[in-house]
Amino acid sequence: MADSVVMGSGSLNSGSRSGSSKTSTSPTDNYQLARRRTLQVVVSSLLTECGFESAEKAAMETLTEMMQSYITEVGRCAKATCEHTARSTPTLSDVVITLVEMGFNVDTLPVYAKRSQRMVITAPPITNASVVPKALIAGQKRTHPTYIPSHFPEFPDPHTYIKTPTFREPVSDYQVVREKAASQRRDVERALTRFMAKTGETESLFKDDISAFPLIAAKPSAIPYLSALLPSELELQTLEETDSSEQDDQTDTENNSSNVSQDDQSADKENVVLPPGGVVPTGKANEENMIDNPYLRPVKKPKVRRKK
Amino acid sequence: VPHSGSSMNRKKDKGFEICINNINFQRKSVIGYVELTIFPTVMNLNRIKLNSKQCRIYRVRVNDLEAPFIYNDPTLEVCHHESKQRNLNYFSSAYTAAVSAVDPDAGNGELSIKVPSELWKQGDEMKVMKVYIEFSLDQPKGGLHFVVPDVDGSMAERAAHVFSFGNQNSTRFWFPCVDSYSELCTWKLEFTVDASMVAVSCGDLVETVYTHDMRKKTFHYMLPIPTAAPNISLAVGPFEILVDPYMHEVTHFCLPQLLPLLKQTMSYLHEIFEFYEEILTCRYPYSCFKTVFVDEAYVQVSSYASMSIFSTNLLHSGMIIDQTPVTRRCLAQALAQQFFGCFISRMSWSDEWVLKGISGYIYGLYLKKTFGVNEYRHWIKEELDKIVEYELKMGGVLLHPTFSGGKEKDNPTPHLHFSIRHPHTLSWEYYKMFQCKAHLVMRLIENRISMEFMLQVFNKLLSLASTASSQKYQSHMWSQMLVSTSGFLKSISNVSGKDIGPLIKQWVDQSGVVKFFGSFAFNRKRNVLELEIRQDYTSSGTQKYVGPIKVTVQELDGSFNHTLQIEENSLKHDIPCHSKSRRNKKKKIPLMNGEEVDMDLSAMDADSPLLWIRIDPDMSILRKVEFEQADFMWQYQLRFERDVVAQEEAISALEIFPTPASRLALTDILEQDQCFYKVRIQACFCLAKIANSMMSTWTGPPAMKSLFTRMFCCKSCPNIVKTNNFINFQSYFLQKTMPVAMALLRDVQNLCPKEVLNFILDLIKYNDNRKNKFSDNYYRAELIDALTNSLTPAISINNEVRTVDNLNTDVRLILEEITRFLNMEKLLPSYRNTITVSCLRAIRMLQKNGHIPSDPSLFKSYAQYGHFVDVRIAALEAVIDYTRGTHFVLTTNFLCLSFSMLGKLGPFSWSGIFFIFQLVCLLQRLYGNCSCHTKGLIVNKRNPPSCLSIQR
Repeated sequence: MADSVVMGSGSLNSGSRSGSSKTSTSPTDNYQLARRRTLQVVVSSLLTECGFESAEKAAMETLTEMMQSYITEVGRCAKATCEHTARSTPTLSDVVITLVEMGFNVDTLPVYAKRSQRMVITAPPITNASVVPKALIAGQKRTHPTYIPSHFPEFPDPHTYIKTPTFREPVSDYQVVREKAASQRRDVERALTRFMAKTGETESLFKDDISAFPLIAAKPSAIPYLSALLPSELELQTLEETDSSEQDDQTDTENNSSNVSQDDQSADKENVVLPPGGVVPTGKANEENMIDNPYLRPVKKPKVRRKK
Repeated sequence: VPHSGSSMNRKKDKGFEICINNINFQRKSVIGYVELTIFPTVMNLNRIKLNSKQCRIYRVRVNDLEAPFIYNDPTLEVCHHESKQRNLNYFSSAYTAAVSAVDPDAGNGELSIKVPSELWKQGDEMKVMKVYIEFSLDQPKGGLHFVVPDVDGSMAERAAHVFSFGNQNSTRFWFPCVDSYSELCTWKLEFTVDASMVAVSCGDLVETVYTHDMRKKTFHYMLPIPTAAPNISLAVGPFEILVDPYMHEVTHFCLPQLLPLLKQTMSYLHEIFEFYEEILTCRYPYSCFKTVFVDEAYVQVSSYASMSIFSTNLLHSGMIIDQTPVTRRCLAQALAQQFFGCFISRMSWSDEWVLKGISGYIYGLYLKKTFGVNEYRHWIKEELDKIVEYELKMGGVLLHPTFSGGKEKDNPTPHLHFSIRHPHTLSWEYYKMFQCKAHLVMRLIENRISMEFMLQVFNKLLSLASTASSQKYQSHMWSQMLVSTSGFLKSISNVSGKDIGPLIKQWVDQSGVVKFFGSFAFNRKRNVLELEIRQDYTSSGTQKYVGPIKVTVQELDGSFNHTLQIEENSLKHDIPCHSKSRRNKKKKIPLMNGEEVDMDLSAMDADSPLLWIRIDPDMSILRKVEFEQADFMWQYQLRFERDVVAQEEAISALEIFPTPASRLALTDILEQDQCFYKVRIQACFCLAKIANSMMSTWTGPPAMKSLFTRMFCCKSCPNIVKTNNFINFQSYFLQKTMPVAMALLRDVQNLCPKEVLNFILDLIKYNDNRKNKFSDNYYRAELIDALTNSLTPAISINNEVRTVDNLNTDVRLILEEITRFLNMEKLLPSYRNTITVSCLRAIRMLQKNGHIPSDPSLFKSYAQYGHFVDVRIAALEAVIDYTRGTHFVLTTNFLCLSFSMLGKLGPFSWSGIFFIFQLVCLLQRLYGNCSCHTKGLIVNKRNPPSCLSIQR
C-alpha cells in the first residue's frame, strides 16, 4: 500500500527516481525522507504518550508504516469521494465520510485533539522549497483556449511543438558573400592540403624548416595521361549544376534521340559558341545498327578448324 | 655487277605483303615475315638491296630458293673509335656518307641479298621474283614504340599499346623494305594480335579472323592504292572504337577510358573533310580513314596512307577552350597531308618542299575559312617572322637543293653544320623551318597566279594520280603519283600560262630572306614622298631582292597603293602625293577598305598629308622590314589601319615611343572589342613596356588596372572579379593575358608595384568557376604566371642563406598561393596539368631570384618518367636553368647531370628519345652556336641514328 503511494506520488518523475536511487539527492526523495522522519517522530511521541520508554527499530518502522498507510488511505478515499461527486478538491465532508467509512468515530476526534498530554511536534524545518530547475523557456507558453478547463495540464513549451523556421537574416551584401565564399574555399583547401601533406610524403623548398611550405610529394603514375586529360569529378559535377539543359547536347550525344526537340532548339544557340559539336543527326541509335564499318563487324571463326 | 649510277632502275617492287604473327608486349618484340614481288628492270639481276635496321633476319628466300644475304648498317658506328678527329664537321660528313651508303633512292640498302644463281636466267626474261624474308624485332629503339604501363592486369587492362613512328622514311626500323618515298607498290598486311586488342593499319580492313585457339585474332588489310613504304604504319592496342557519326567510313581509335573525349574531339572532323574535298574538287583518295590517339607519341601528328597517328594529349573535353583550336589545327594538318604526302608522294628528297608546301598551303586555306582572315594573316605574319628570324640567325634554308657531284665542295649549304642531302642528316629545327618556308612560298606562288589557278593545279595533280592509282603496275603510270619540282612547275605554267621562273629561282633554288630598311622624307614643294629603301644582302641568311614591291600610303585623301621597282642601284623612290595638307577642312578620311572615319589630326605634322606608310603590306616577299616613321604615324596606323598585320607592326614599333599618346592609342585598342583579340593581347605587353619606360611621368592607376576592373570586375565592388564566364572567347583570352602583362610593371625601385601584386592575389582569391561551363585551368595557370612575372631579384645582404624566417612578406604570400595550387593539383589535377607546369616555373623563378634556396631536387622528382609529359618538360627546363645559373657551368658537368637524369627517366624507350629532343633543343639555347662534339656523340651512342639528325 505504502509502496503504491510512494509510487503514485513519484510517478510523475519516475524517470528521475529510478535513476537517482543511489545519489538520492533529488528534491522528491528529500521530501519523502522528511515526511517519513516526521511520521516517525509522531509515532514515537504517541508511544511516549502511551507510556513506552523505548521501542525496537523494527516495531517503530512497522508502526510508522501503518500510520502512513492509514493517512494515505484517508487521503485516497477522500479524493475518490470527492471525484465521485464530480469535484476536484476534497472538502472536509469528504474526509469525514471517509473516516466514517473506515469505521472511525469522528466525534471523538475533537476531544482527542484537545487532550492535555498531547505533545506538540514542531513542524519540520521548511527546507528551501525544492525548486524545480527552470526549464528553458522558449517563447510564451500558450494559455488554454476557452474549451479546455484550467486544471488541465499546461501546454508544454512552444519550442517542443511549434515549428519555428530559424534563419539568420541573409547576408545580402554581394561583397561579403564573395569574400566569405573565397575565404571559406581557401581555408578548406589549405586545411585539406596541409592535412594531406602531413599524412603523406612531402618535399620542401627550405632545408632549414621542412614544415614551412610543405609540398605533397610528386608521385609518378603508371598512366599519367588519364588524370591529366579526363575532367575531374568535381568539374563534371559543376558542369551538371551550371546548366544541365545547355550542356546536354555537348557532352551527351547518346541520349539525343530522347530529347530531339530540345536539341534542335539549342543547336542554333550553340553554333554561336562552337561549331556544331555533339549535335548528331537524329535517330542515331537506329542508324548505328546499319553502319557498315569493318571494325564493328563480328570477328570470324577460323574456318579450317570448323570443318575438321 | 651494275655500277651504282644505274642501280636506281635495277628493280621495281610491285606488291608487298607483310605479316606480323606475334607481338609480345612483355618482351617488346615482334615476329613476322615480308614478301616482296619484284620486277627486275635490268638484265642479270643478281643482287637485291633492301633497307632494314635493327631487325634480326632469320632467312631469305627468293622464289622459294634459300638466298644468302649480308647485313651491314654503317650508321651503327659512324666514326671509328680509333679515329683521331673528334669534331662536329668530321662527324657530320662521316654520318652523311653512312646515310648515303644505304640510301634507297640510290639503290642502296643495309640488307644485300644474293639472288640464287638458278634464277639468273629468269632475270633475263624479266620474270617476277618473290622475295620472302623472315624477321624479328626485339626491344626496338626506333620505328615501333611500345608503351607498357607498369600496373597490374592483362596487357589490355594496362592499356599497353604499340605504334609505328619515325622521322621521314623510317619504316626500315620495323620491317625490311625499300624505304623510299618514290618506290610505290600495293600492300597486303596481316597482323595477329591478342583477342582483346585492335590492330589498325593502312588500307581497308578486309576481315578479322580468330586463330584456332580463339585467343588471338588476325586483322587482314588490303591497300590497293600504290603506296610508298614510309607511308605504312601500324598501331596495336586495346583501343576504344568510335565510328564517325557523319562519315561511317571514318573510324577513330583512342586508349581505354578516353572515349568521351574522343567523341568531343572528333565532332568536327567532317567539316575539315568537306572543306578539302570542296576546294580540291576531289574526293578523299582512300576508301577509309582512321585516326589513332596514342600515348608518348613521337610528334603531335603523323600521317600515313589512309590513317593518322596523333598524340593522345590532343584529346580534350568540351570544357577546354585553349586546346580546342590547337587540336583542330592538328587534325587539319593531318588531313592535308593525306592528300599531299601520303596519296601523292615525292620523286626525290629535293622535291619534298612541294608536298610540304601544298599541304601547308591548303591547311592555311582551312585556317582562313575556319578561324577567319585575321587569324590567317596573323598566322602568316608569325610564320614569316619565324623563318626570317631563323634564317638571319642560322643561315639560309634551301627548299630545292641540287647536288651535282658527291663532293664536299659542292655542298649547297656550306653555312650549315649538317648536310641537307638526306632527311636523316637534317637538324630537326631546320626541317621545321623548311616546312614553314615551303608553305609561305606556295602562298607567294598563289599571289602570282591567283588562288583559282593554284587549286586547279592541285586538282590536276590529284586527278592524274587518282587515274594512275587504279592502273595496273605494268602500265607504268604509277610515276604520276609522285610529284617532282619540275612537274609541279610545268603544271603551273600549263594551267596559268604565267612564268614563275624568277620567283622559283629567288625563293626555291636559292636560300635566304630579304632585309629591308626603309625611311622617308616629305618634300613639301614637290608634294612628293621621297622613300628610301635599302637592303642588307651581305649578312648570313640574306639575299638580294630585285623586282616589284608594293608600298601603301595612307594620305588625308585616302589610301593609295604604289608598286615600286627595286633595282640594283636605286635606293630612292619618289611617290607623288594625292592630297595637300589641309587639316582645317573637317572631312572624313577614307581608308583602304572603303570605310570613312573621323580622325583627330592634331597630332600630325601640319605640313604633311601623310598618315602612315606600309612597305610590302601583303607579305609577298619573304622579308624583314625595318621602317622608320614618326610615332604619331604608328599611332594612326594602330588606330585606323584595319589589317591586323599592320596593327601588330605598329604595336611593336610603339615600344620605343613611351609617350602619353602611345599609351592612349594602346589603351584605346585594348578597349575596342571589334579589334582582333591577338592584337589586343600584344597591346597589353607593349603597354606594360612603355609604362615602365614612362615610370616617372606615369599618372593614374597602374596600366590596365582600371580597364581590367571595368571589363571583368563587379560593378558594385570593383576590387572583386566577377564569377568566371568564359562564353566570350575574346574577352576570355584578354582576361587571361592582362594580369600577366600587368605583373611586368615596375616601380621606381624596380619592384612590381604593391598595388598590382595585391590585385593579382585578389584575382586568385576571388576566382570562382562554379557557374562556368568551361574549365578555368588555363586562366589559373596564367594567374600563377603573373605571380612569376611579378618577381624581382631579392636584395641579399652578404649572400645570406635563404631561410623561412627572412622571407620577404610579398614572397611569402606568393609562395603560399603556389604551395596551395601545387598541392591542390595532386587532389584535383587540371587539364594537361597546366597548373603544375606554371607552379614549377614559378618556383624556379623564386629560386633564381634568390628568394628561396636554389635546389633542383624538386624538379628532378617531377622530371621522372610517369609524370605528364608537359610537367616533365617544365621540370627539365628548370633543372637545366638551375645548371646554367650556378657558377660551374661546365660542359661535362652539365651533360653528366642531364644524361644521368635521362638514365633515370625509366627504361630507355621512346620517352627517352623524346627527352633527348627536348634536351638538345635546350642545349642549343644554352650553348648558342658553339659546336660541341661530345653532345653529338653522346646522343649518337644512346640513340638510333635516325634521331641523330638533331644532334647539336
